[in-house]
Amino acid sequence: MIQTSDMSASVGFCSRWFISTCDRWLVAVDSKQDREPFVFDCSTAEKKPKNPSTDGDEGGAEETRSDRILAFAVSPCGNLVALTDDSKRLILFRCEASSWRCISVRFVVRRCTSLAFSQAEDQLLAADKSGDVYSFSVLNPDQDGELKMGHLSMVLAVTLSLDDRFIITSDRDEKIRVSCLRSPYNIQSFCLGHKQFISALLVPPGHSQRLVSGSGDGTLRLWEFESGRHLQSVDLRDLMDPEKTDNDNEKEKRLTVGRINISPDAQLIAVVCDKVSLVQFFSLDQDQLSPHSRLTPPHQPLDVTFDPEGRLWVLMDSDHSPLQIYTHRCGSWQCDTDSPDLTRVSAAFRIHWDKLDASVRTASRFDHLYVVNYDNVSEYMKKKQQRLDQQSQKRNLDQKRRPDAKKMKTPTANS
Amino acid sequence: MTSFMPQKRYYRQRAHSNPMAHHEFNYPVCPEEMDWSELYPDFFTGSSSKNGTSQVEFADIGCGYGGLLVELSTLFPDKLILGMEIRVKVSDYVQDRIKSLRESEPGSYQNIACIRSNAMKYLPNFFSKGQVCMLLVACLMMIMMMMVVVFLFLTPDLKEQHKWRIISPTLLAEYAYTLRVGYVHTFICTTEIHSSWWNGAKYFYLNTHWYFLYMHLYRLCFLPTLVSMFPGRVGTRRRI
Repeated sequence: MIQTSDMSASVGFCSRWFISTCDRWLVAVDSKQDREPFVFDCSTAEKKPKNPSTDGDEGGAEETRSDRILAFAVSPCGNLVALTDDSKRLILFRCEASSWRCISVRFVVRRCTSLAFSQAEDQLLAADKSGDVYSFSVLNPDQDGELKMGHLSMVLAVTLSLDDRFIITSDRDEKIRVSCLRSPYNIQSFCLGHKQFISALLVPPGHSQRLVSGSGDGTLRLWEFESGRHLQSVDLRDLMDPEKTDNDNEKEKRLTVGRINISPDAQLIAVVCDKVSLVQFFSLDQDQLSPHSRLTPPHQPLDVTFDPEGRLWVLMDSDHSPLQIYTHRCGSWQCDTDSPDLTRVSAAFRIHWDKLDASVRTASRFDHLYVVNYDNVSEYMKKKQQRLDQQSQKRNLDQKRRPDAKKMKTPTANS
Repeated sequence: MTSFMPQKRYYRQRAHSNPMAHHEFNYPVCPEEMDWSELYPDFFTGSSSKNGTSQVEFADIGCGYGGLLVELSTLFPDKLILGMEIRVKVSDYVQDRIKSLRESEPGSYQNIACIRSNAMKYLPNFFSKGQVCMLLVACLMMIMMMMVVVFLFLTPDLKEQHKWRIISPTLLAEYAYTLRVGYVHTFICTTEIHSSWWNGAKYFYLNTHWYFLYMHLYRLCFLPTLVSMFPGRVGTRRRI
């Protein structure tokens, strides 16, 4: 199952179809056969029917809305694709051997951050910016969404366990929540340990009880999600760029896990971090994530995906060669420049890639997620201390004065 | 210097705080890392026989000026009770109040404490699953007695319900998570408004929580002890 979220451009595979989203276009290219690519432009999709009762308060927001694709998801069997855009559409596609069909266009309440199909492919979960998770029926493609659960803060990633028993959601408030899919108000556990927002989740196939999470605190963590037990934490800063950690600037030290992907044979986990020109690979044993290998592409990788053969497709921030295929041979990752698949896909992809502004594609989607706390205690404590000091001074004065007063009083009484 | 009973007039604050704002809070990463000994020194350190094994079982979320907290302290002297309040001045008042109560009557009021926190965000950071057997939430109360958990809506000012209200449909799941499993949870509504609220389409979600059953006001007579237990809150008695 492939999931991507809130990027200017992202890539994925849906059986043999290479899928990419690029601003408002979804481009699907058959990587194996010369065929007409499927291109879907979100701005041509149906507009949200105007509701007179809500028109008033949404007037301002209407202006800024673009049709940029925020997230897409591919179903586990690879015949369904869903995407959501900045105009709050949720569009479902069916992908058959040779053709694509748009099944439905529905509307969500808030802009979505992440989508996930259930393993049974009967429902599609959509997590939104206000922290709610809605379930949309796949079998009944015109039915409205049903509110499943909610976080207080923005949900950044949603995924399901391999047996469809649990919804796993992660939010901006450092929490991963595991809830039962059938009764989402029933919380199985919380996985607590991250110190920043959690941007990526992965339940690795073959390890059905494990969860890998990536966060804005620069760590990758391994959990046993049913009990919420923390098994391991890997600090990617140590692996990525040792010199960078010496920098004092807090902003420079930030490292955000952007994407966690797993190879089809479930042996390798690829991790891409925001603004780092490196793809780090891990292998997963039962309770241990161990660094496996690394790949240094010529440009900063924006997104990566494995194809069904286990080759890694890397989308890079480059004008000339945005796409590359890498294969793992003899312990290192080698670039496959003259693969016919790549030429086929690149030809169709470049048309839309060139329309994308260079500044747009590197714009970080994570910077705004770092929480800026404000301190409202120290000011109060200072004032309180002043008040207490004043009071004790006054009290001391009173005490000094009182014995005097008594002395004063006694003589007057005597006289 | 002996500490004096804090005077409320220095701690007044309007009864609203934005729970979505990013205030600076101290909170543990997970419940295991919480150091309770600072809050309940008598229970966690020293020669007390309850040493180390105690855990917080009662929580008052949005404890305000701590009236109920102090009341409960003497009613349940062997239970640890935690008050959570988001407002800076008010939580500081409760802390000062507990401190002076402890000093004026050594040995008592050791089982209550107050922290400044946003329970809507950080409840799972403080309590593990099923740790709490009584949860009192600002305008509603959940009381555990004889395997019954009761919610009492105390504020009838049902303004427009937003996500950031302390009882929102989706947040109930988090309260249920911290509450101990195996009890019958009951909902008591104090006014007709509440019953319509409860059954209203907007709150269909409450009905789907299998562990929250609806119970109307007149059934309250079955539980007179519960009501008499809480003389602390004037508002409580007036409404019931």
